[in-house]
Amino acid sequence: MIVPIVILGAAALVAFAIRKRLDVAGPFTVAALIVAMWYVISSPQETTEFLGLHLRLSPLGQLGSTILLASLALLVLTVWLDEPAYNFFPTALAAGAAVIAVLTLTTPIAIYAALLLALLIPVGTFTFQVTRNRSAEAAYRHYSFVALGGSLGIAALALAGSLPREQPPGTFVLLVVIIVVAFALKLAAIPFHTHAALLASEVPASALALYFGVLVPTTFIAFAEILTLSGLLPAIVSIAKVQDLLIGIGAVSALGGSFLATGSTELRRVAVYSVIANLGQALVGIATMSGPGIVGAIAITLVSGAGATQQLLAAGAIERRSGADRPSATVAPLASLAFVIGGFAMIGAPPLVAFPGHFFVELIAFSYSGTLGTALVISTLLVLVAQLRAAISIFRTAPERWRVERRPIAGVVGALVFLALVAGGVQPDGFLRPIAAFADEFIRALKPL
Amino acid sequence: MLGLVAVATLAANGARQLRYTAIAFLGVSLAAHLISGPESSLAQVALTATAALVSAAVLFIAARDGRFGEDPGWRLWVATVVAASTTAAAFTFLRTTTNEDVRITLLGDDPSGVTQQAAAFWLLSSGIAILLTARGAVRGSLGALLMLTGAQLLVELVPGPQLAFTLLLSWLQIVVALCGAFLILNERAVREA
Repeated sequence: MIVPIVILGAAALVAFAIRKRLDVAGPFTVAALIVAMWYVISSPQETTEFLGLHLRLSPLGQLGSTILLASLALLVLTVWLDEPAYNFFPTALAAGAAVIAVLTLTTPIAIYAALLLALLIPVGTFTFQVTRNRSAEAAYRHYSFVALGGSLGIAALALAGSLPREQPPGTFVLLVVIIVVAFALKLAAIPFHTHAALLASEVPASALALYFGVLVPTTFIAFAEILTLSGLLPAIVSIAKVQDLLIGIGAVSALGGSFLATGSTELRRVAVYSVIANLGQALVGIATMSGPGIVGAIAITLVSGAGATQQLLAAGAIERRSGADRPSATVAPLASLAFVIGGFAMIGAPPLVAFPGHFFVELIAFSYSGTLGTALVISTLLVLVAQLRAAISIFRTAPERWRVERRPIAGVVGALVFLALVAGGVQPDGFLRPIAAFADEFIRALKPL
Repeated sequence: MLGLVAVATLAANGARQLRYTAIAFLGVSLAAHLISGPESSLAQVALTATAALVSAAVLFIAARDGRFGEDPGWRLWVATVVAASTTAAAFTFLRTTTNEDVRITLLGDDPSGVTQQAAAFWLLSSGIAILLTARGAVRGSLGALLMLTGAQLLVELVPGPQLAFTLLLSWLQIVVALCGAFLILNERAVREA
């Protein structure tokens, strides 16, 4: 599995050298991502070794890598054809390499280090026209949060791996709490979301889509994998406080994110807070430590990432074409339509593949406690309200005759993502089975022999 | 060695010019890795030293002139007090509780890992305190690099593929320094506009 990582890493260096020739760098980047995707799809699920590190292409690794690389390819296509930003191409390739590394490595510390690389690489794409906006400040906040959470997380994992096992339970509780908070910082879970709020309003839409559409789902999967591989799960199960902490952060994020989405008037913020609300639900799913909860959590994360890519690219296209005016569907009808159908993925509406994830997590939350289940249902309803408000606001005015915008890239990308989600919903087995295989590993790690 | 790490950290924390900060960070990093020196292979030592040198050089170049930097002011004392108390607390809670034989030597081997853990906790605590009180990317980058150096020291105590860990964390350190330098340049452009 080292081959696609090397391909993308080497391609990132080449793309950096040719980044200012957009007509070459764009197709080159898309081609490199497609080659890596083909390699991931066609490779057998086996383990390889590199410098003593084991890289395993698990069913979830194969599914996650394919979805996230496809999202990256769509982002690159949009940047190449619709929103030229030459720094984006090497960033996307390097992020792709780091994403595959995160999804295939089997050593928690190595996964974490690769994840931090993936999260730091986009800092360069976050800043633009720094004297006219606060994008430099937003990028700095993101950098601080990643550095803080990342170093704490690596340190906690290292301590967990080096301390003798005969420790008082309090020691492991402290380490797990540090790891959970470290991930909450990187996932922008509420109340650790201040950097995400600034990113949402200040950075380019394509960079925001890279972060919330690709890197945040990768972070969540890394969290689940690290819990499974670190050997800390039995300690978590034996001490209910840690489970309660995870459920608490998840429920606060689900409710807080959906409330913030409902109160937002900007399209990007609606999309970003919807993702945060969904990640909160996913955290609750993981915290239940049950098969359906884990399957639902990973499914929600992957689908929300695809929905975020769709909505943020559409929001960027609408805003660019609206200029200083209020964003309106009259200037970009297809992009607006893409934004609205992206909302279906965010609320987990059937027949999209978004539905099973939400259904599983909410069902298992009700079996855990009625209050928790109700909180998640309220969160979904609030996200629905937020998405409806956003849709009404962009379709408030109608022109005499609808005319498709020039270069409707965001609209086409939105349609492709929607079709993929419908196809997944019609045939959910192909999407859910690899996630279920991971859930099996997670459950086995709860009770080691 | 622990004293050297502490003094170099204070020098980096107290420096008003970014170039002095970069040089002091190089001192911190080299002193920190000397603690684990006898346990590390030549390849690991070369990797960590190169990463430290490149990171310091990146920050040094990002300063562009000898006067540019950030005056820590009261933040220096807050960061030092917080770091000292947090180090003690972390060492109390997270140090092994078994009745193992702990030997501390002034120089050379650190078989029980006590010095290394103490240095790691000090660097992590200092980094957190600096990062949380930083006004901008100059001290933010220093905090991030100190934290990462502390985390690296702890990773060296973990059984596993140490060369791969060192390679990954060295790359990470360079990327942290590059991102920090990029943010410093942007911040300066905003300030000078």
